[in-house]
Amino acid sequence: MKRALTAALLIIVALPMLYAVAQLPPQGSPTSPAYTHVSARYLEAGPEEAGAENVVTAVILNYRGFDTDGEVTVIFTSLAAVLAVLLGVRTGEKPLAGQPVSSVEASVVVSFVVRLLAPAIALFGIYVILHGHVSPGGGFQGGAILASLLIIITTILERAQAEALVPLRIRRWLQIAAPLAFFTVGVAGLVVFGNYLQFPRTHDLAWLTVTWLTIIEIGIGVGGAAILATIFWTMGGDS
Amino acid sequence: MSKAFDITLMVLLITCAIAVIRTKDLLGAVVIFSTYSLLMCLIWQHRGAPDVAMTEAAVGAGITTVLFLLAISKTVRREK
Repeated sequence: MKRALTAALLIIVALPMLYAVAQLPPQGSPTSPAYTHVSARYLEAGPEEAGAENVVTAVILNYRGFDTDGEVTVIFTSLAAVLAVLLGVRTGEKPLAGQPVSSVEASVVVSFVVRLLAPAIALFGIYVILHGHVSPGGGFQGGAILASLLIIITTILERAQAEALVPLRIRRWLQIAAPLAFFTVGVAGLVVFGNYLQFPRTHDLAWLTVTWLTIIEIGIGVGGAAILATIFWTMGGDS
Repeated sequence: MSKAFDITLMVLLITCAIAVIRTKDLLGAVVIFSTYSLLMCLIWQHRGAPDVAMTEAAVGAGITTVLFLLAISKTVRREK
């Protein structure tokens, strides 16, 4: 009975969705609404106006910068929530992170490969962050790569040693780097051009646009890496 | 050729999705879910969205897998 009811409900939900998908314009169709409104202008004026040859970056950080500002705040809030739950701040319960996890000594092979690859991964992460306005990538992707680097380093070092790579006092500031970078650029736009997060639109101020985009990219990258690594360590990332 | 590649990826993706729900071993489910993310990453790349593909590879296949493994190590391995 219960299974039949579930199946019936699923079919009732699925049918309108399948019908709606069938109504979508074919992929790449030039007349679909997604291509006929603002995106034509983004593609035409994006590289010149928004200071980023990669149109995705131009849209995310410049045209829709306000959305991304909200997104990085959401990421920071999620860190706060994870810390509140895991460290038992509210209830004063015994912190989960303190429980010992059975640890295994990293083998020589793992240790060697991590040591060999770590500099290359670090370089790649920084490249993805800084080159994000020209090629695919950017702060979010590069930050995730840097965070994976910190996580694999934790597998060969003791957790305390790995955490010492990013000391707690500095990490507190790095965690809010993304909202902070957005706030700095936003207020700079407010002071210079009169609107929060307003970028210059003229050709001779292109250097300023690129500088501001780079500040935001570095903020998102460093902040994202710090947040993801902190969540990992707080959840008990013992080796 | 390109279409056959797309269809292969989609079939593998759906297989992974069903396998994740069916398996009772949570460690196995996490590994299959990581494969799902990898396939999804290939699909994004093949559909011309390299930005999303990079995010999927780093976050989907990498970091969420590690976090899931940590969560399993804190609880039990098998689903009841």
